[in-house]
Amino acid sequence: MKLGTMLRDVTGSLFRRPVTEKYPFERREAPQHLRSLVKWTPEGCVGCSLCETDCPAQAIDFIILDRQAKRYVFTYHADRCTFCAQCVISCRQHCVRLECDQWELAALDKSPFELHYGDPADVEKALAGKTK
Amino acid sequence: MATSKVSETFVVPIGPQHPALKEPGHFEFTVDGEIVTNAYVRLGYAHRGIEKGAEGRNYIQSLYLTERICGICSHIHATAFALTVEKLAGVEAPPRAQAIRVLVAELERIHSHFLWLGVAAHESGFDTLFMYSWRDRETVMDILESLTGNRVNYSANVLGGVKFNVDNEQADAIRKGLEFLEKRAHHYLDVVINEAMFLQRTRGIGTMTRNQAEVMGAVGPTARASNVPRDVRVEAPYAAYKEYPINMVLDTRGDVEARFVVRIKELFECCRIIRQILDTLPPGELTTRVPRKLPEGEAVMRVEAPRGELFYFIRGNGSDKPDRLKVRTPSINNFTTVIKTAVGHQLADIPMILSGIDPCFSCNDRMVHIQNIHKHDENWMTWEELRRYGIEYYRRIRK
Amino acid sequence: MNITMTIILTILGLILFTAALFLLGLAYEWVNRKLLALLQNRVGPRWFQPLADIIKLLAKEEIVPKGVDSRLFIGLPIFALAGGLTAALYVPIAGIAPAFSFPGDLIVTIYLLSLLTMCMGLAGANTMDRFSLVGATRTLTQLFSYEAPFMLAMLGPAIVAKSWQISVVADYAASRWFILTQPIGFLVALIGLMGKLELPPFDAPEAHTEIVAGALTEYSGRGLALFRLGKDVELVIGLTLVAAFYLGGVANPLWFLVKTLALLLVLAGLQSLFARLRIDQTVGLWWRFGTLLVLVQLLVTFLLQRFIL
Repeated sequence: MKLGTMLRDVTGSLFRRPVTEKYPFERREAPQHLRSLVKWTPEGCVGCSLCETDCPAQAIDFIILDRQAKRYVFTYHADRCTFCAQCVISCRQHCVRLECDQWELAALDKSPFELHYGDPADVEKALAGKTK
Repeated sequence: MATSKVSETFVVPIGPQHPALKEPGHFEFTVDGEIVTNAYVRLGYAHRGIEKGAEGRNYIQSLYLTERICGICSHIHATAFALTVEKLAGVEAPPRAQAIRVLVAELERIHSHFLWLGVAAHESGFDTLFMYSWRDRETVMDILESLTGNRVNYSANVLGGVKFNVDNEQADAIRKGLEFLEKRAHHYLDVVINEAMFLQRTRGIGTMTRNQAEVMGAVGPTARASNVPRDVRVEAPYAAYKEYPINMVLDTRGDVEARFVVRIKELFECCRIIRQILDTLPPGELTTRVPRKLPEGEAVMRVEAPRGELFYFIRGNGSDKPDRLKVRTPSINNFTTVIKTAVGHQLADIPMILSGIDPCFSCNDRMVHIQNIHKHDENWMTWEELRRYGIEYYRRIRK
Repeated sequence: MNITMTIILTILGLILFTAALFLLGLAYEWVNRKLLALLQNRVGPRWFQPLADIIKLLAKEEIVPKGVDSRLFIGLPIFALAGGLTAALYVPIAGIAPAFSFPGDLIVTIYLLSLLTMCMGLAGANTMDRFSLVGATRTLTQLFSYEAPFMLAMLGPAIVAKSWQISVVADYAASRWFILTQPIGFLVALIGLMGKLELPPFDAPEAHTEIVAGALTEYSGRGLALFRLGKDVELVIGLTLVAAFYLGGVANPLWFLVKTLALLLVLAGLQSLFARLRIDQTVGLWWRFGTLLVLVQLLVTFLLQRFIL
């Protein structure tokens, strides 16, 4: 039975810097395999929309404008996303990947969270079609 | 609400909002001065309807739903679900994937035990141990973040395997982190066994004999601290536990100190297993194909969560959505032990006994379906009666 | 004219003294919290945190719960703070000679500090809340257990100085350091101070993981601010007493700061090393070891005084 078994920890800490990271004055780098925002590239996409079916948070709206001409719009709601990377696995054509450097994603309004990937003309058409 | 001053017994409510509880749960202890004479528990404050939610989502989406049943044991829930689905589908994940699943599960166990050590020390007023063990927990969270990409809710599993690979650089980083964690775990074992004032709060408190533990159905480290040799990883090995066997950690005393000792010694076992896996990781691919529509049938899986035996049941009906998902978490077994062992102790011992079982209130809120009510009891309501009650209630208070 | 000027100047002096004492108390609370944080390897609050807490509390609504005697509820914090501030008049705070001094003021000071604790216990017993009742019981139980050893430990130097007047003992202590000649008494006085201030490991009366906030659970707003100020003032007075008696008196403000802050460092270290004791273990510890040790010390002192010196 001893008293004060944590004495060495405690006296050592008096002479060392606190271990707290003084955010936002000190920022750590993002880890190598961080799971951040979803990015979609249209090359190779066949329009199976499995990414939309398998997303557990319904964060992906996959809009097919023209299946023959391969015109698709990938709408991503970053505020619903849980960053689980299931869409990366579900897409057999490897069109979806997750970024790995941005982890400060907070914003004051919703606009940075609605991301539309695809040809700009297609995106306009898809959005116009939605608001009708 | 009046207290009876004549006999000096009154009811002290712990929860649902209380600094001792990290999650909501309701306990009522009838106290005579400082001695507890009766105890009563009521749970259900964190019920979210996850089992019902799984019925409306396909198997792939339900995997991520089960991950969020609990924050500290999220990976083991997902592993159990994935294993059950693979059993139903009749496929087996490749050995490398199983080994990586066990690797993350053991890292999660380390994380959970360090977290619990801090919380239990905080309940006894030993804030220094709380701060230091949570500082060391950051190391294991950083390891998990470098492996999987997230500090909590690792999403390491997919149906049929795992999502990511472990390369040599990561393995070296893990080994370095483990060295630090093992050194700290030895130090905490020394503190927990020897610190005189801490022992006064843990030795001889909440003692549960082996017979009592077996009758009440205690699971996990709580039972193993009472010398009940029950560990699913040893009795029914799943995933890669056949290749990497575990030694059960038992203790004969059955009090809160024994539970501390069992959990810290389990940390050493976890470190040993992780090193073994890193040294002998089997080569191969990471996933295998699982069909989208699973056949009709039922599958059952038991795994060892950091808190005890976790039990999953899935019934498939040939479609791509589960027909019924049933989860039985370990904490719900251990609450009976709190009720029984709290009687006769002082009020100040109650937080220690409660934290000794490592309660996870979010895990254990499930719905129980009562069929065939023969006698109408005013404590029970049908769905229609509940709706009517709610409408009348809000009409009344709005007046 | 002269009498009114004297009265006005006295009142002005008292108000300034009170304000300075508040600020000193808040500064000492900050040092305590910051030291505790550094010992636990974390950053801790910034220097204005206790002041900000008091200002915020004064700005909040004070809710008087049902079933409570509202005059007692509102009056007890005022009594407690008044007791603490009055006790400060007889103690050499900041190294300046006490404002009033008379033979026997050691007893009065210790009684006034106990008045503070008793007011907190009464405040807890006043409400219908279970947590406050348990907290009040524990506060009063702890008061009965450490009061005797602490008092006797303070008596050790008083016996040697042959006086019950604080300023006389403090002046006498300047020539010899009682920590060297009565080490056991010093130990009991230090641990007794931790019990008096309800610092861990003796914080069972306000064990927030068991009984939310103990006797003060129902308090909010101004009442809580006054109780907290009372506790901070008690911290300063307690430290000054122990430093003045055992560490060779507080001759001037610099020595006052050095000695009381050194004592606070030791207190913070003791706070961080131990787990909280149950109330029955506290009582057992005090009535067995505390009283025994201090009685031994007093016996030794008395015999040495009588037969050798």
